[in-house]
Amino acid sequence: MTGAVLRVNPLVLLAVGLGSLLGSFAVRDLTTGLVTLAAYALAVVLTVPSWRYPLLCLLFCSIAAASVVWSTWRLGGHDEAKAFTAGLRILVLAWPGSVAAGYVDPARLGDHLAQSLHLPGRFVAAFSAALQRFWSLVREWQELERVRRARGVGPSRSPLATLRYAAGAAFALLVQAMRGASRASVAMDARGFADAHHRTWAEPATWTRADVAGLAVATGLALVPLVLHLT
Amino acid sequence: MLHALVGALGSTYAGDLSGEVEVDGRVGLLVQNPEDALVAAHVGRDVAFGPENLGLGRDETWARVDAALTAVGLDVDREHLTVALSGGEKQRLALAGQVALRPDVLLLDEPTSMLDDASAARVRDAVLAVARDRTLLVVEHRLEPWLPHVDRVVVLGPGAVVVQDTDVAGFLAGPPPDGVWFPGLPDPEPVPVPAPLVEPASSAVHALAGVDVVLRARTLRGSQLTQALSGVDLAVRPGEVAALVGPSGSGKSTALGVLGGLVRPTSGTVTPDLRRARTRELAALVGWVPQNPEHGFVTTRVADEVGRTSERVGRTVDVDAVLELLGLAHLREANPYRLSGGEQRRLALAAALAHRPGTVLLDEPTVGQDRGTWSAVAGWVRAAADAGATVALSTHDDLAPRDVEVRLDDGRVVA
Repeated sequence: MTGAVLRVNPLVLLAVGLGSLLGSFAVRDLTTGLVTLAAYALAVVLTVPSWRYPLLCLLFCSIAAASVVWSTWRLGGHDEAKAFTAGLRILVLAWPGSVAAGYVDPARLGDHLAQSLHLPGRFVAAFSAALQRFWSLVREWQELERVRRARGVGPSRSPLATLRYAAGAAFALLVQAMRGASRASVAMDARGFADAHHRTWAEPATWTRADVAGLAVATGLALVPLVLHLT
Repeated sequence: MLHALVGALGSTYAGDLSGEVEVDGRVGLLVQNPEDALVAAHVGRDVAFGPENLGLGRDETWARVDAALTAVGLDVDREHLTVALSGGEKQRLALAGQVALRPDVLLLDEPTSMLDDASAARVRDAVLAVARDRTLLVVEHRLEPWLPHVDRVVVLGPGAVVVQDTDVAGFLAGPPPDGVWFPGLPDPEPVPVPAPLVEPASSAVHALAGVDVVLRARTLRGSQLTQALSGVDLAVRPGEVAALVGPSGSGKSTALGVLGGLVRPTSGTVTPDLRRARTRELAALVGWVPQNPEHGFVTTRVADEVGRTSERVGRTVDVDAVLELLGLAHLREANPYRLSGGEQRRLALAAALAHRPGTVLLDEPTVGQDRGTWSAVAGWVRAAADAGATVALSTHDDLAPRDVEVRLDDGRVVA
């Protein structure tokens, strides 16, 4: 728990996700899967500032993995080893990337996408501003929840009603998000974004020694399942 | 009209566009809600967005950023987090974002409507300080503070037709146009609301004792704790309108939310304790009018919207009488999302309160309203209290009705 993940270059974080995704294809047996997952877990524990978010990601990925285990077991001739390997593969594929993505700083990611990877400036600026707005949706959801509860249409104990409630609130959030997006786009265009064909970047995109080390670790982790598979 | 001038019609906002828009020079727009203009997590980077779009070099960009922050009087360093700014500071940040672009024309869309008087005055001073030789166009309901600084007044009627276009002296000499907050007019009269529409079956005293609320704005990259309320004691009685006043960010909305069981206190006692009440029980007792009317809409038809909560709590409501009273009868079949701002505000009021709850809570109910909508909101508030309901509202509008006033500052009751 060092919080190193907050200081590292956002492209390194994306490399972790991409590496685990590619590496997961080499997960062909239980041992490989378990060792790879343990390696990523160690890396996560050593670098994140708090355990809550990684555990939440693990929970969601586990739901996906469990459904894969179940269907593989049902359809794959009741072979437990094969089923659990398939589940582990999903965890290796999705979990490290979902954790890493959460810690990306939108502005720094924008700097690097545009200056290190030379992606189109307008696209990058819009993408970075959109990521920036993501957290305002959380607040918006809380407000919607409050109003609905006071209107007598809040979540209740019946699962069906809760489902209907969630669908209605999600639709309202979507409407709010789209309205917010058009207001934001007017505000951005009024700040010269409309005719920004050759944007510059106020901050340089730098690579430190720690970033290079981070990239090496990401590559190393991605190679773990491949090496285990070949030996 | 502002959106036409910045060229957003037909591209960002759908619709048919005819005629021509002519603009000479670079146009800057300050929007109503500064949150919409935020593009970055840090103050410096946010202001730099404009210069980056102009393709300026790094030295020039940062020189403009620093100059712009000084010009609007925002005395924070470049690394300051944008989420940690108050409403007034955010609006000045947005203005700095415009100043850094050096626009020839500055358009302002109700730039101070979400701010308390002191913050609004600071934003106005900042605008006037940077406007000097630029063209300035302000869209505003409460126009009095701007009048000494503008040359012309244009009054728009329904359908955005120009009703009047004169110099300031001519405007002040002429008859007051309908619905406009004309300087010197007597305060608008609250609309009389018949008691049967608002009379609750029962009502209760709501009280807070030693309430603390710590809000956590969380992102994965760090979280920011804000002490929204500290040690608040407060009581609202049946038949009484309590106005919670104080600067933006002083905890008014949070205090309302705690009163209604919608926000969980970190410590302290709330009576009655509604935090665990189920949605129908809560709705039967409490009506909550949110600051953003669209947050409250749960149906796709105006008439359904008014009747929905009554259905849920098993009361009958005369939907047509309510719509008639609020001037919404002709919109009975319309979709709530398609109404104008003032119509939405009146509908949100009806939707939240038509079922005659014993406790009525309103969050900034008179922000950015014309005189007609203001009268409807004030009338309903007054009538509900007179019929025995317990009413509390947060406001920075001095005209909003009240029997008692609770002044909050920095999360504490100061008077």
